[in-house]
Amino acid sequence: MVLEVDGVKLETAPWDPRFPNTNQTKYCYQSFLDYQRCKKIRGEEFDACQYYKRVSKSICPNAWIDKWNTQIEENRFPGNI
Amino acid sequence: MMKINQPYFILNLSPWPILMALNTFNLMISNIMIMNFKFNMMSLMNMFMIISISILWWRDVIRESTFQGNHNFYIMNLIKFSMILFIISEMFLFISFFWNFLHNSLAPSIELGLNWPPKNINFFNPLLIPLLNTIILLTSSFTVTLTHLYLLNNSKKKTIIFMNLTIILSIYFLMLQMLEYNQATFTFSDSIFGSSFYMATGFHGLHVIIGTIFLMINLLRMMKLHFSFIHHISFELAAWYWHFIDIIWLFLYMTFYWWNN
Repeated sequence: MVLEVDGVKLETAPWDPRFPNTNQTKYCYQSFLDYQRCKKIRGEEFDACQYYKRVSKSICPNAWIDKWNTQIEENRFPGNI
Repeated sequence: MMKINQPYFILNLSPWPILMALNTFNLMISNIMIMNFKFNMMSLMNMFMIISISILWWRDVIRESTFQGNHNFYIMNLIKFSMILFIISEMFLFISFFWNFLHNSLAPSIELGLNWPPKNINFFNPLLIPLLNTIILLTSSFTVTLTHLYLLNNSKKKTIIFMNLTIILSIYFLMLQMLEYNQATFTFSDSIFGSSFYMATGFHGLHVIIGTIFLMINLLRMMKLHFSFIHHISFELAAWYWHFIDIIWLFLYMTFYWWNN
């Protein structure tokens, strides 16, 4: 969704038909995972990776992202990156 | 005295039902003691009590049926239907383990990184020991059927040979299962994978142990000539139970071992 208020572009994660339920936990996790995979292959600055980063940032709670980043740093993240 | 104008056997007064009920309640309390306080003396004493009561209760049933001849065909029907109900309730016990496994593996949670099996779980090859175990259990089902055949044909020697073979196969199964548990690289506490796997296969193993004891007691009773070719209900129930355990193993093998890999 993109919304313009007083010339400022407000943007949040779009509807994703893979995650039709009210509970969006897996949308958050999948986007985070996709961002990490994209980052690994293309680097942090790559344009297409920014989309996943934005989606995970708007859907996931900050505490979760912090936790997962710590897990990645300590090499104990359970997902396949 | 038993009334002769009705077909049912009126039981004598017995202490075992109330004692068994009290001990089953005690079992629950002692499980709480293990889980919360790591205190297992109570559970051990309770197991001893339950096993003693079971032995004495079944001794009484053997006396009533074999030596007093109180189990007529009406009673035999009642006993068969009770066994069917018992096996159905056991099926639902295992359905709950399968439900748990499928619920957790078909849509793995984010704590597992949406992976099944979870990362760093080295599952064993289902075509090695588990497949051998499948063959062993199927063979033991076959030998138990042969036992039945020879029992119906009144051939004592062959009956006992095939009953022995069945028991040997079941012990072989248990030993292989123990070997595999010892060699496994993951434990009960290794995520939902380890918990659901050991819960289901462990309960199956427990049922194999119970079924083996059931078969052993029937072997003893065969050697003591308790059974005739028209009245051997205890053996028939043991055979039903054995086939039930076999079928459960087939489903366990298909989902927990084969599909899981």
